[in-house]
Amino acid sequence: MADFTLNINQRSYNVHVSPDTPLLWVLRDAIGLKGTKFGCGKALCGACTVHLDGNAIRSCSLPVSAVKGKIVTIEGLSENGDHPLQEAWKEIDVPQCGYCQVGQIMSAAALLARKPQPSDEDIDTAMSGNICRCGTYPRIKKAIIMAAAKGGAK
Amino acid sequence: MSTIAKIRRRDFLKISGITGTGLILGFGISAHAKENITTHFEPNAFLKIGSDNSILIFAKNPEIGQGVKTSLPMIIAEELEVDWDKTEVVQALLDPRLGAQFAGGSTAVKMNWQTLRNAGATAKHMLIAAASTEWRLPENECYAENGTVKNKRNKKVLTYGQLAERASRLDVPQEVKLKDSKDFKIIGTAKKGVDNHKIVTGTAEFGIDARKEGMLVAVIEKCPVYGGKVTGYDDSEAMKVEGVRHVVKIDPLNPVDRIAGVAVVADNTWAAIKGRKVLKVNWEYGDGADENSESITARFREYVNKKGRIDLRNEGDVDAIFDNSAKVNEAIYEVPFLSHVPMEPMNYCADVREEECHLWGPTQVPGSVQRLAESITGIPRDKITVHMTRVGGGFGRRLMADYAADAITISHALKSPVQVVWSREDDIHHDYFRPAGMYKLKAALDERNKLVAWELKASTTSRYLFREADQSPHVTEVFPDGFPAGFVPNFRMEYTPVKTVVPTGAWRAPGHNATAFIDQSFIDEMAYVADKDPVDFRLEVLGEEDREMPYSDHGGPTYSTKRLKNVIRLAAEKSEWRSKKKGTYKGFAAHFMFGAYVAEVVSISMNAKNLPQIEEIWAVVDCGIVINRSGAEAQIEGGIIDGLGATIFGEVTIAGGMAAQSNFDTYRMIRMHDAPKINIHLVESNEAPEGLGEMSLPVISAAYTNAIFAATGKRIRKLPVQLSEISS
Ligand code: FES
Ligand code: FES
Repeated sequence: MADFTLNINQRSYNVHVSPDTPLLWVLRDAIGLKGTKFGCGKALCGACTVHLDGNAIRSCSLPVSAVKGKIVTIEGLSENGDHPLQEAWKEIDVPQCGYCQVGQIMSAAALLARKPQPSDEDIDTAMSGNICRCGTYPRIKKAIIMAAAKGGAK
Repeated sequence: MSTIAKIRRRDFLKISGITGTGLILGFGISAHAKENITTHFEPNAFLKIGSDNSILIFAKNPEIGQGVKTSLPMIIAEELEVDWDKTEVVQALLDPRLGAQFAGGSTAVKMNWQTLRNAGATAKHMLIAAASTEWRLPENECYAENGTVKNKRNKKVLTYGQLAERASRLDVPQEVKLKDSKDFKIIGTAKKGVDNHKIVTGTAEFGIDARKEGMLVAVIEKCPVYGGKVTGYDDSEAMKVEGVRHVVKIDPLNPVDRIAGVAVVADNTWAAIKGRKVLKVNWEYGDGADENSESITARFREYVNKKGRIDLRNEGDVDAIFDNSAKVNEAIYEVPFLSHVPMEPMNYCADVREEECHLWGPTQVPGSVQRLAESITGIPRDKITVHMTRVGGGFGRRLMADYAADAITISHALKSPVQVVWSREDDIHHDYFRPAGMYKLKAALDERNKLVAWELKASTTSRYLFREADQSPHVTEVFPDGFPAGFVPNFRMEYTPVKTVVPTGAWRAPGHNATAFIDQSFIDEMAYVADKDPVDFRLEVLGEEDREMPYSDHGGPTYSTKRLKNVIRLAAEKSEWRSKKKGTYKGFAAHFMFGAYVAEVVSISMNAKNLPQIEEIWAVVDCGIVINRSGAEAQIEGGIIDGLGATIFGEVTIAGGMAAQSNFDTYRMIRMHDAPKINIHLVESNEAPEGLGEMSLPVISAAYTNAIFAATGKRIRKLPVQLSEISS
């Protein structure tokens, strides 16, 4: 066990955990930020996506000891849950079971921050690491396009 | 207004009493308990109107992504005559007053339609009656509008909140008038998921998010070979992992809700996972270790090539026709085991106390979980509270409550709240797969190229046989009344189930997810043999006359050829089936299941590598009255994509009595770049509503592979589609 200081959603957290603990479990179990989801544990599904210095990463596969930088989770994506992507997601009525959607939104948010007007291909590439068993892909794409049109970089 | 005292829900239940199932109207509350004057009008367990004008609607069934947490309350709100945006939807507990609460068979809308309408209409009626007494006006001069009651004589208005207290003293009417469908204001519109805001902000509670005071987390090493046993284990290393508290052996409960394995229980998930890595378990694999995909397929092959064990249908003289017809076609189709892989892995949280028990987690069958908890703990059911969380996907997997049994057993043994969490590897290895199967088809045309004989010999692993652990032959992996049965004068269907240790269960559109592929592929084959257009050929077989066909399986007792032909014609029209565009090829399929009619068209082109590229898909669906247009379209679209993914990638193989796949690297899923454009058309209808969670999925396989045939002349008879076969 060791002590780590993490910068998450512009707050500082001190945690006492085993150094090999994946960031995902630190977020969910040690800190109680449960918005980030567990789906595969092997960086294959995207359910656990968070931002590390603005890049979308899979928190299930990053040990806490390797975390250097600022983390943003869904809880910190926007102040009032009103990021253009979150608004678009609601407007287009994207979620079915909803379990994958946090990861989808975090991947999309990193994309828009990098590329405010993504092409169809950009979207496909950026989202290719996120699985949705419910098959909400067409609505996800629509929502990303809608958010981009409204200046979704935020 | 009179004085108002809040009563707690528990008191209310005590006063009104719980009896049996179904809609129990809990009135009489004020009459019996004068001291308790409620701020709430709660005429039944489905809704609650507060004197503060709050309108609470309880969502009775588990929400697994099929949209019932939105669509079922919409039905209540419609009859209640309230503004949808002013209602609040709350997930109900497992509660006998609400009737059956489960998610399966796309039945929620169909089963609850009348009950929910009655629940809303009853409340509305009583509110109107309350206003009529208040105003001393006849009831028929008062009417409800937008959460208020008005009257035809003057401009007075009373809100439901103002009427709540008075209404709660009235007797419950035995019969109430329901709205005419032409007056629907909510039903048939597009409403957004009630939990959308929570979902997109990460605050929606899924089962895996359950956190209880003192909760421990358990991960379980289960025997990798189906049917194996634990013979011993060494937990010395596991117990050294910081945070690990207990190691517990779990014995199998029964062959279905099986829980043989060793659980590592820790303070947090990661410690449990680490402890499990160094746990040593000795197994006795048993006979299961000899099972593999090849040996199962060999049994299928043996059975489809001889007389089937169960005669499902036999009309005319198939053999005579086959002997004497010039145009006979024969083919063997195969489908693999499929895994459910809902995105939320199996997990469950149980807090078993001395005399009561609380349960949280993702399940399609909260009632079964309660029964399991009763049998494991001995605590009576009325002391077992089942909290329904959102469910991160069901697809039939969570009709089984094995993982809940894990949690209940461990919590019971350790006397502390325990959350069981499965890894994705556990999820795939210990799934109850979609049964694999083989289907031998043979059909003949007469000299006018009419379909005159059809034979199906099917052999599949059987979810029924697996469950019951005996030889009783349940047979609904195939459907003896499904198309083209009843339209071909000589018709035979035989079935032989294969018993195996490989667990199988219901997978989205059970049975149909295989039969629609084989029937709709082979009818296409026959259209080509007949040299007829595949759409025309289907319509010809269905015949000009409109008929109600007997249908003994779920969705029956009959189905209408009129409605089936209608979706076929509409799909042809919407997709411009008859206009040939150079370089694009179309495939067609149509099917009746669970009360709904679906036709789909897939248009493909061949890319530079000579591989099929989907251009566009059209789906026409007749599911009767549509409750929530947005939800309905989402289900259709999602089902098509899900089905396409299974068609292209889905396969579990068995080697040495275990699944050879274990995570999304080996069990591939469809991703965004493979998801095509889908056009959906819902048939306008006044027929009773049907569910929609499963119906769009089964036909997509054949619509896609029929398009591949149109493009390449190669008939795909084995799933998943082997792309190498197409490009070669
Ligand atoms: S849980 Fe991290 S990618 Fe799947
Ligand atoms: S919404 Fe269910 S997995 Fe994406």
